[in-house]
Amino acid sequence: MKKRNRALLSLVLLLALLAGLWYLRSAQGGPQPVRPPAAVDLESIPPFSGEPYVALADNVPSFLPGEMTTSSYEVYSPLDGLGRCGAASACVGVDLMPTEERESIGQVKPSGWQTVKYDCVDGKYLYNRCHLIGFQLTGENANKQNLITGTRYMNVDGMLPFENMVADYVKETENHVLYRVIPVYSGDDLVAGGVQIEALSVEDKGQGVSFNVYVYNVQPGVEIDYATGESWLEGESRPEAPETAYVLNTSSKKFHLPACSGASSMKKENREEYSGSRESLIEQGYKPCGTCNP
Amino acid sequence: MRIAVCIDSRGGMLFNRRRQSQDRLLRQDLLSEAAGGPLWMSPYSREQFSDPPEMVRAAEDFPRRAGPGEMCFFEDLDPALWLAEAEEVVLYHWNRTYPSDRRFPLPLAGWTLARREEFPGSSHEKITKEVYRR
Repeated sequence: MKKRNRALLSLVLLLALLAGLWYLRSAQGGPQPVRPPAAVDLESIPPFSGEPYVALADNVPSFLPGEMTTSSYEVYSPLDGLGRCGAASACVGVDLMPTEERESIGQVKPSGWQTVKYDCVDGKYLYNRCHLIGFQLTGENANKQNLITGTRYMNVDGMLPFENMVADYVKETENHVLYRVIPVYSGDDLVAGGVQIEALSVEDKGQGVSFNVYVYNVQPGVEIDYATGESWLEGESRPEAPETAYVLNTSSKKFHLPACSGASSMKKENREEYSGSRESLIEQGYKPCGTCNP
Repeated sequence: MRIAVCIDSRGGMLFNRRRQSQDRLLRQDLLSEAAGGPLWMSPYSREQFSDPPEMVRAAEDFPRRAGPGEMCFFEDLDPALWLAEAEEVVLYHWNRTYPSDRRFPLPLAGWTLARREEFPGSSHEKITKEVYRR
């Protein structure tokens, strides 16, 4: 019983820590009361049908009255055990907007990142490092908590128009806009299936800006394996997954890169060498190590 | 009737029953375009004008009330329904892409571009004005 109480206390403390992290990283005016948002269920999203985004909940954002503030702030989630971004929230005001040119973000490798080119993609590169909260809104450069692996189509046709609308509204009116972007993953996928974007203008109570949309992380003409970020041309067969060396822990059901400290400290009886694809390991019920992110 | 509309790079006008964008200097230009006559618009559009001059006339059914040659500013009403009765169309291009769920029917078949001007807005780098006549 005491053990159970201790476990419960640990769980409560962990949840409190996670909630506390949501209060961190305030740019202006101190920590803000940001509620950890509920994840959108990918099953409830209609399949992509040629439009880059679809309205959710009749296009009504889910901000609560207590979240309305005229103090600018920005909050980013810590990366999860798979190195994935979580929700990013801001109250966008002119004081948060960039005053200097954008810097390089090429050093950031978001989860599922692959450098791959297709002729059918504008600019050739399938993936962009997509800002969750666009640079023009909060001026964030190489913030790994704000960059995900997104298709060119999602970045330019899906997310950018919403960022433009919010940025131009704030610049023109000098009002504030609550803005939240949540990458939506299926299971342990490294690449998000899409992002939910919500926005609400504060001073005029949503008369100027109000929306709640899901933007598809797709690229017309290209198939994507969201578990790994691998891709291939639509209508062509999927290329063979490359074989990679991993170390399995048959007890914890975690897999590691051979150089990972978790692999070297593993008990001999639980250790198994493996050569094959990451995807097949996940299909067998293994989870990637949170330290080496294989 | 003269029709004035603001559109984005994809011909969009509205998203979720709200205008895509607004600009103080564009409003000044619109008042100049309509100089000498009334400027008709919906009550929703009039809210943009904090201290509307006397020439601004707002009504839910403003296109029906506008006389020949009078300027009508369309935001939340569909201008396509009134194109057949219009003598002139003034398109203000934001030169930006916004989300949209109502679009203006482009290209304007049977209309001729009579004038094109560019000017900086108060929050938009470059606004392009195109005036089409039959």
